[in-house]
Amino acid sequence: MSSNTGESIAPDATVLWDTGHHGHDMISTRTFGFWLYMLSDAMIFAALFTAYAVLGHNYAGGPTAAQILRPGDALAETMLVFTSVLAFGFSMSALKRGHRAGVLNWIAVAFVLGAAFVGMEVHEFANLASRGIVPERSGFLSAYYTIVLTHGLHMVFGLLWMAVMAVQVLREGFTDDIVYRLLNLRIFWHFQAIIWVCVFTFIYLQGSL
Amino acid sequence: MSHDRPSPLDHPEVQMASSSRYVVGFLVSAALMALSFFIVRQRGLPALDAQVVIAVIAMAAVLIQSYLLFHLNFSETQRWHTAAFVLTIPLFILLVGLSMWMFHALAARTMIPGMH
Repeated sequence: MSSNTGESIAPDATVLWDTGHHGHDMISTRTFGFWLYMLSDAMIFAALFTAYAVLGHNYAGGPTAAQILRPGDALAETMLVFTSVLAFGFSMSALKRGHRAGVLNWIAVAFVLGAAFVGMEVHEFANLASRGIVPERSGFLSAYYTIVLTHGLHMVFGLLWMAVMAVQVLREGFTDDIVYRLLNLRIFWHFQAIIWVCVFTFIYLQGSL
Repeated sequence: MSHDRPSPLDHPEVQMASSSRYVVGFLVSAALMALSFFIVRQRGLPALDAQVVIAVIAMAAVLIQSYLLFHLNFSETQRWHTAAFVLTIPLFILLVGLSMWMFHALAARTMIPGMH
């Protein structure tokens, strides 16, 4: 500021803001942007949980939560999500040391555990549908199907993302682009565990109370 | 890709990975969920009390995962992640709380048969 005092400033030379190049941190910018995206995704889940809280007891003479929900199976699913998230965490520890094989192997473990979770969910919903327990039967079932399957769809996209990243790591190694994508996938996958804590507690456990 | 560019693996968000944090996060959240399951299964508490207890346990699990898995803290790299998360909490409260209040008031005033 003081260095400019007394100098006449030519308009075309005026700098309105600091435009100097400071070595833009591309990785931090992208993980922060993705984190904000995940928080808005969390708002979608908040809306779905609200709908469930409002509609969850509207059975319309159909099956009740206590009749169709199996908290024991949901506990097993909880452990699958948590161990899959743990395996992905180990993959990030391998990334920290630059171990390509470690990254790929732990992603494979996370993928298998996540796929087992999706398999259990598919089995549960196929079983419900085969007994005529479908979303259009009641408000409770609409809200229940929507919330659990929205989470399940996130899991499927996470698995797809893992498969894509495994190929990219194999082909390109740890470039800037690959590293920020792996960091974003970590945020996405860990986020599914947080959502599942709420699904397990507020749907499966509360429904059997 | 000049020689003075640091490797992306040296980025603080890569280097903050920690297996021990992830293992502790896993063990604590798995134990908390098993505890909630046990509370519901045992039926030792009145339903309303059990509801409050499992909700508190779930919130504890979410906070523990935020800290141990998402590394939400006040460090230089994570400060704004934490700020964005904390500032989203009032939005959750407004969205969930106001909507539920609105629908409860609606149900109470309209007395639709079969709603209760």
